[in-house]
Amino acid sequence: MRALEDVSLEIRAGERLALVGENGAGKSTLMNVLYGLYRPDSGTLRVEGRDVVFRSPRDALAHGVGMVHQHFMLVPGLTVAENVVLGAEPGRWGLLDVAAAERAVAGLSERFGFEVDARARVGDLGVGARQKVEILKALHRGARVLVLDEPTAVLTPEEADELFAVARRLSDEGTAVVLVSHKLREVLAFATRVAVMRRGRKVAEFESANTTAEELAAHVMGEPPPPPPAFVAATPGEVLLELSGVHALGPRGRPALKGVELQVRAGEVVGIAGVDGNGQRELAEVATGLRAWLGGEVKVRGTVMAEPSPALFRDAGVGHVPEDRHRHGMVSGFTVEENLSLGRHRAAPFARGPWIDLEGRSSEVARALDAWDVRPRDGTLELQVLSGGNQQKAVMARELERRPSVLVVVQPTRGLDIGAVASVRARLREHAAKGGAVLLVSLDLEEVLALSDRAYVLYDGRTVAALDRAHFDERRMGRLMLGTEAAAHG
Amino acid sequence: MADPGRARVFSSLVSVAVALLGCFLALAASLGDVGTAAKAFGEMALGGFGDVPRWLASGEASAVLRPLGESAGKASVLLLTGLSVAVAFQVGLFNIGAQGQLMWGGLAAAYVGAGVSLPGVLHVPAALGAAALAGALWAWIPTALKLRRGVHEVISTLMLNWVAVALVENWLVVGPLKGKTGAGTDEILLSAQLPRIAGESSRLNLGFPLALVLAAAVAAWLYRSTHGLETRATGLGPDAAHAAGLPVARRTWTAMGLAGALAGLAGAVLVLGSEFKYPGRLAAPYGFDGIAMALIGGNHPVGVAASSLFFGALRAGGTRMQLLGVHRGFPELIQGLALLLVAARLGWTWWTSRARSQADASEVPRA
Repeated sequence: MRALEDVSLEIRAGERLALVGENGAGKSTLMNVLYGLYRPDSGTLRVEGRDVVFRSPRDALAHGVGMVHQHFMLVPGLTVAENVVLGAEPGRWGLLDVAAAERAVAGLSERFGFEVDARARVGDLGVGARQKVEILKALHRGARVLVLDEPTAVLTPEEADELFAVARRLSDEGTAVVLVSHKLREVLAFATRVAVMRRGRKVAEFESANTTAEELAAHVMGEPPPPPPAFVAATPGEVLLELSGVHALGPRGRPALKGVELQVRAGEVVGIAGVDGNGQRELAEVATGLRAWLGGEVKVRGTVMAEPSPALFRDAGVGHVPEDRHRHGMVSGFTVEENLSLGRHRAAPFARGPWIDLEGRSSEVARALDAWDVRPRDGTLELQVLSGGNQQKAVMARELERRPSVLVVVQPTRGLDIGAVASVRARLREHAAKGGAVLLVSLDLEEVLALSDRAYVLYDGRTVAALDRAHFDERRMGRLMLGTEAAAHG
Repeated sequence: MADPGRARVFSSLVSVAVALLGCFLALAASLGDVGTAAKAFGEMALGGFGDVPRWLASGEASAVLRPLGESAGKASVLLLTGLSVAVAFQVGLFNIGAQGQLMWGGLAAAYVGAGVSLPGVLHVPAALGAAALAGALWAWIPTALKLRRGVHEVISTLMLNWVAVALVENWLVVGPLKGKTGAGTDEILLSAQLPRIAGESSRLNLGFPLALVLAAAVAAWLYRSTHGLETRATGLGPDAAHAAGLPVARRTWTAMGLAGALAGLAGAVLVLGSEFKYPGRLAAPYGFDGIAMALIGGNHPVGVAASSLFFGALRAGGTRMQLLGVHRGFPELIQGLALLLVAARLGWTWWTSRARSQADASEVPRA
């Protein structure tokens, strides 16, 4: 399959260029060609008017092309300065000149307005600061073209603002900054020029001043975007899920939840906002019976859950759309039919006595694929060969067709393209409108704000604030998520 | 499911064909004579699948039935141990311990066959049942170690094979259970022998249809029952199965118990069908051959049956290759080479899909 087809792109010194498109549109492939990770089958790459061939990122760096990946490539045990100079260390006779490294980093930091301590250990830094270290790394290597791949995906709004301020200063000093993103609003706010990719081709190019988010979305999808669904708040009913005083351990046996208080009522979507690693994963696992809690109480529909057991929670009426779809959501190697039956496979229409009812299952699954618009409509394929969006729709279909009282969803739209995101979000609102309860755990604050009737901010394993939709405030929630504003309920 | 399945069948067939060809060429080269090599392969075929020309020429049915009986005997043991390994694979466990489970099964069959007096209709089932139970119990030791203590089953099942050798062959068979005459245990009673089904000239016995029926039953259980669906989910995606509320640990116990029982039955078929006692030493490492049968057969009961029938016949036919001075272990060489080729392909698939998923991971936005 061709990932890129006859794409031409110019990057000018000091400009802020954005590259937008759905997943699989070829953005990342194009950037990987630019960074020497892939080699094009045909076509040329010119830097400052001269033809070049990049065999590796090392070649790209040598020609002034730097890239900051979504997954940071830093050594947590080393200091900021050591990480920045890694691969191009100052010093003689194989000895690292630590002072020179720190001077270099301090110089760069000052010039571009980074507030990063050169002597801090990277392992102690937050996500926003680590990203700055990655940018410093590229600058230290003399990058004149800096590619930022989905840089704000893991940042709070304030961290994102800071990042863009730094990136603006870089472009003012003559560095070209390429932003790869599918958040159209931030693209328009930051970039001067926007290139749109679809199905491996560059389909449009705009000056930011002359276009709108709607126009961009239409080009990204190849059709006008559906209007965003109007938010209809449902009247909340009885409490269906309640966690009180819940404590739980996380990775390496460290306390991850240190007193969680939350309630989800029938008819509402309740969001959990927070920076990654503040206990979201553990919270979702406790609420679905996958993780043991050490103190406190978990109640589903008023019944105290006796033990952490997914079977028990399911029987009590909890559905789960997990964060790690491949690990917890589906059995790879199972067909769509088998996957869709999992958990309901012992009852009609999926079974007749001890035997699988092949016909009943296949007609039931065909119906569900239609109802959920899962493509292709072929239940005999392995689920893992479907696209991410269709896999997610299939998992949602399985969980919601059980008609659970409480649906726990974690990062439900991560990695999905615009069309799939809209459909998944609409289904979650619909579930609440029908009287279900939805607990939505997402690292994407925008998603929490768009979908929730109420939201809790989770910081350092505690629910530090509970807010009604009327009181949603992006800035303030961002500060609560970072722990820079004291807990307050409002 | 159909397509990858078909690809696996194709790949196994190609592997077996290449192994046959490769071994033929190697034999021809080492003899320096293609004609003799061809004759040796011809003898192997006649010995394995029956001397059809002689049967047609003389009308002696035994020319076909005797070799087929030998093939069926080998095939039924291969099939049972192959199923044992394949069933354990379904819950994601690599059962290298079929050999030990087979020994205990054989010993239990010999003990019940010789020591208990029952009418024929009951004696054979009782001996088979004892063998299945013994094999299952032996397989539950590594299962318990795995589920309770996290001990890797490859280590525990492999080491338990040597414990089985020590306990069965180096102690019980030469000590407390030693027979009155000769090496090994006492001969089993006539009522415990697996009845022959093709006359006295052929050793074809009840063990063969029993193995085939068990293969069909295992296939139906795995692919048609809800219990089997849960078992396969446990192997393919234990975390997803657990999250979906399936009793993952219980399915592991059942599958490993069944794996042990099948290997135990293989021991019983040897003892009740051809040895008629537990000999001093068990002749061939059929438990390890089971791994080859499972892998070449793609861990599917039907595939395991096909490869067992084929290699059972080749190995029975190997005896006739001796007439031309070729070692009778030659068919095992073919089996080994076929296994290597299948394993190489599995390894290659794993390697390339791993490389691909790593490339994907660096490519697909995760936020």
